[in-house]
Amino acid sequence: MKISRRSALQLFAASTFVPFAPAFAADWKTIEAEAKGQEVFFNAWAGADNINAYISWAGEEVMKRWGVKLTHVKITDTAEVVKRVRDEVKAGKADGSVDLVWINGANFKAMKSEKLLFGPFAESLPNFALVDVKGKPTTTKDFTETTDGLESPWGMAQFTFFADGAKVANPPRSMIELAAVAKANPGRVTYPAPPDFHGTTFLKQALVETVADKSIFSKPIDQAGFDGAAKPWLAFLDEIKPSLWREGKQYPKSQAEITQMVADGELLIGLTFNPNEPANLVAAGTLPKTTIAWQHTAGTIGNSHFVAIPANAKAKAGAQVVANFLLSAEAQAKKNDLKTWGDPTVLDIAKLSGDDAKMFAASAVPGSVSLPGPAILEPDASFVALIESTWLSHYAAG
Amino acid sequence: MSLQLKNISLVLDGKQFIAPFSLDIAEGEVLTLMGRSGSGKSSLLSYIAGDLPSPFSGEGDVVLNGKTLNNTPPRNRNIGRLFQDDLLFPHMTVGENLLFSLPRGARVEREAMMQAVLTRAELEGFSDRAPHTLSGGQRSRVSLMRSLLAKPEAMLLDEPFNKLDRDLRSTIRDYTFSHLKTCNVPTLLVTHDISDVPVGGRIFEITKSGEVKHV
Amino acid sequence: MVGVGAIPICLLFAVPLIASLYYALIGAFDSAAWQALFAHPQLWSGLELSIFTGATSAVLALITAIIIVAATYETATWRNLPATMGAMLALPHIALAIGLSLLIMPSGIFARIVANIVGWQTPPNWITTHDPNGLALIAALTIKEAPFLIWIIAGLLNRDDIRQIFNNQRAAATSLGHGGISVWLRLFLPQMMPKLIWPLVIVFIYAATVVDMSLVIGPTQPPTLATVVWADVNSEQVINNARGNVGAIFLSITLALCLGVTYALLKLGAPLFRTFLSSAPSSLSLPNLVGIAKYQMLIWFYLVIVVLLFFISFAQNWSFPNLAPIISVRAWTQIFQNPSALITSVELAISTSLTALVLIILWLEILPEKADRILILLSVALLGLPAILVGLGQYRAFLNFGLTGNMMGLFLAHLMPVTAYMIIVLTSPYRALDQRYSATASSFGKSEIEFLWQIKLPLLKAPIYAALAIGFAVSFSQYIPAQLLAAGRYSTLPIEAVTLTSGTNRPLTAAFALLLLLPPLVAYVISAHFGKSRWSTA
Repeated sequence: MKISRRSALQLFAASTFVPFAPAFAADWKTIEAEAKGQEVFFNAWAGADNINAYISWAGEEVMKRWGVKLTHVKITDTAEVVKRVRDEVKAGKADGSVDLVWINGANFKAMKSEKLLFGPFAESLPNFALVDVKGKPTTTKDFTETTDGLESPWGMAQFTFFADGAKVANPPRSMIELAAVAKANPGRVTYPAPPDFHGTTFLKQALVETVADKSIFSKPIDQAGFDGAAKPWLAFLDEIKPSLWREGKQYPKSQAEITQMVADGELLIGLTFNPNEPANLVAAGTLPKTTIAWQHTAGTIGNSHFVAIPANAKAKAGAQVVANFLLSAEAQAKKNDLKTWGDPTVLDIAKLSGDDAKMFAASAVPGSVSLPGPAILEPDASFVALIESTWLSHYAAG
Repeated sequence: MSLQLKNISLVLDGKQFIAPFSLDIAEGEVLTLMGRSGSGKSSLLSYIAGDLPSPFSGEGDVVLNGKTLNNTPPRNRNIGRLFQDDLLFPHMTVGENLLFSLPRGARVEREAMMQAVLTRAELEGFSDRAPHTLSGGQRSRVSLMRSLLAKPEAMLLDEPFNKLDRDLRSTIRDYTFSHLKTCNVPTLLVTHDISDVPVGGRIFEITKSGEVKHV
Repeated sequence: MVGVGAIPICLLFAVPLIASLYYALIGAFDSAAWQALFAHPQLWSGLELSIFTGATSAVLALITAIIIVAATYETATWRNLPATMGAMLALPHIALAIGLSLLIMPSGIFARIVANIVGWQTPPNWITTHDPNGLALIAALTIKEAPFLIWIIAGLLNRDDIRQIFNNQRAAATSLGHGGISVWLRLFLPQMMPKLIWPLVIVFIYAATVVDMSLVIGPTQPPTLATVVWADVNSEQVINNARGNVGAIFLSITLALCLGVTYALLKLGAPLFRTFLSSAPSSLSLPNLVGIAKYQMLIWFYLVIVVLLFFISFAQNWSFPNLAPIISVRAWTQIFQNPSALITSVELAISTSLTALVLIILWLEILPEKADRILILLSVALLGLPAILVGLGQYRAFLNFGLTGNMMGLFLAHLMPVTAYMIIVLTSPYRALDQRYSATASSFGKSEIEFLWQIKLPLLKAPIYAALAIGFAVSFSQYIPAQLLAAGRYSTLPIEAVTLTSGTNRPLTAAFALLLLLPPLVAYVISAHFGKSRWSTA
């Protein structure tokens, strides 16, 4: 067989991206040994102190136990990381700048479909056995995209609203009720502009609540299909717009900005993907003790967040050791603890030993969710781009 | 001991503006070269000193005490220069300015020589002063002394009295010429002012066509 | 020999710059990206905002500068004016934007003061920051750019030769019955304009393409085109990246067109201007008080911003409408527990400004003056092109040479603008040094090296230290290249500050904004001290 010089070069270039291919087949001890002394660059959103503090705690632990140096690369937007890995791979950079990335949703889908991820590795992590795959189906299904072991679950999220109970005595338990609150308090309710993650989720939540035929959400959709189905959604957004903050002509850039404005009293209702965040902010003194948190009666969108290893990561073994530690009962319990972060666990408490399980016991505190609703699966990933572009041309074109 | 200029001509953009000429300046002599502004007097001095800037070019030999200097860099030519401005280095004291030109030697000796020169210039006690605190006449004297301390074998004077006040002018002129005389070096003075010419000195002129002629 | 002087600056400045421009421009050949760009719903409104904010702030900054200069010219204030403006220049753009927004936002200081008087319990519905017309952005840009223009004009008017001519002209004009306005608009300004054109172009392009300030205080839906482009450049979608690239090119072309149209209009309007020049003397004069008041306001504004940032950096819990927050040093302890961003920024600023100085001096010493044109052209190109376009090309180019995510790439990326600014500041005073000093020194038998060390550099120490201080401040304010090239491996203060403004931690944001300001200010004070003449008494 004749191999042209060019294709030989391509083969060579391709092979440089899978030098660790045998790594996930090797047994865990080998990986731990290989990880010793490696530096893992963990690219993770860094907008909150408590999360940063938790990651630096995890860094101290993996250094103590496995000699792995964990460096938190603070980022604002995971899309930047996807782009960076893609560019590096395209430029033939085999020792990439990212070893571990905090990821889910569209970013995961992009990396998975472009084969930018290392693995499958998640299911071979020793602590993966503790994950509540059955009870929490989002731990293996990320925005309707199967994870295929390319990312390891880290935490749980469910869309949650919060407000000062002294100002909002009867929290709105649906989008319709939310619109009523907005109309009664013009300029005091809003949502972040997409493509901010929370902004897009708010729009998805509105879509899921306003469209009668829920069966469309589990299948891919095209522009025409979306335009047809989304009419009640647009009608709802049009209806609420004039009562929103700045009459819906401007929207805050992020969920964090909204949280700050709720703390200042400029807005009434905040939103978050972390059900424990309001309680956390009460504990930190940012929000008043009268803060209440709730989910919609018919349910709110829930998902999981993960860590993944790029295909061109340099410290793949170290990254797996870190991912495994993040799944340990100890690390999950600490993360679950309101005093540190308050991010719900992905583990099945029933699978844990008595002592480990006890670490997860919590009592209600000011700001924790008092009116819960069921978790709804994310709509198919094809909805995201359509939601964002439709919103952009309707509400943000100037 | 003399400064000889042999067949010197200057060119700018392919056009000759000083036609070939030759001159001999004897030791102790002050030869005056006169010309309108823009006639190329200063360029000629630059050529002799060895730092004619680039669109200009020149030909001919500069011979100092029998040595042809054409390929000698300016700093090894041992030719002193005075300009319209005193060009004392403003960030140095008067004393430092003088020491800057004084050749290498023991520190104490150099210091003593510098003080002696100041005394000769009637500027005792001025060594720690800033140049800008001196009067125009005082600065001119320091500038001349600074040049002479370097022990030049020839001097080039580029309208050095031009910017001085009328009454100061003749004093400084006499002072300069008398010091040059004691040093006994050949001196070329360029000026456009006939009153700058020392008594009995030879005068040459750059004509409109660029010829150098004895007057 | 001539080549030797050019090699270092070519290698470290010119080649990376040209490569960056090349990589920025090859992205233009992508018709799908152009289609996507023209289908972008925010393209035209964003472009309109960019041009509006850029042009308005440039014009307002110019007017402010002229009024202040005219009122203080040859007064007691005048002598300190360049120093005061220089200190203001040290305040990075982002820090000013953060400070201004903390002042005017609905839960900011102004609103709290009003609330305490009128008794509001919730922040008002003010549309102050992120306003749809970009007025807050314009205000921030004007306040930031006016000191730059004043500094340029004062530098011009302080040249001995020009000062002499202008004072004579003014005396003549006044004796003919011309008032202050007439003297400045008809005599001084037309004569200064040729020297002011490039600074004004740079101010306009900067203002019309700024990203970091716009993220902090600018309009959001739609945002300015530069911000739209920035979002695209950082997107996870390949098509968006390509759209961002052509968007940056499109923005650059449009702004160049704007400048062309302005130029044509000025040419067409020239006869009108001639009529104005030759009209009868007018004794109109703006009371100096207006200019002085403006000057005072400017100074007070900067002081208030600094004090405010300092105050807020300690304000941990601060519910509306309280004026007094709960004080905490948490933000500062957090920063000093992990000072890596501060250290990286300081290291970069020191190393780039010193390197640039050596590169420029090597060039100026060895190459003839006519060659300077190449360097100045490259510098003006770098400063006159939108930072986002250059930054994008830089990122592509550096990626290909393995220069992302390492210190070398970060260093080179910061070195580029630092060198460009320092070239502009240093070249003319360096070349203006009297040639006869060198002739004098060589007549004493001194070598060129001796002359350089003992005479030339000491004589030029004021512009050299000024250039170092400016280089330091420029390095401190680089957001785009740092964000793109650090690949998250390194953090610098601008990255931290912009990241934090999207979060809830106001004290930390304020502390970072202050940190952005302090080192350049310290550098400025140090350079002003060492750049002082040996004989100055003050």
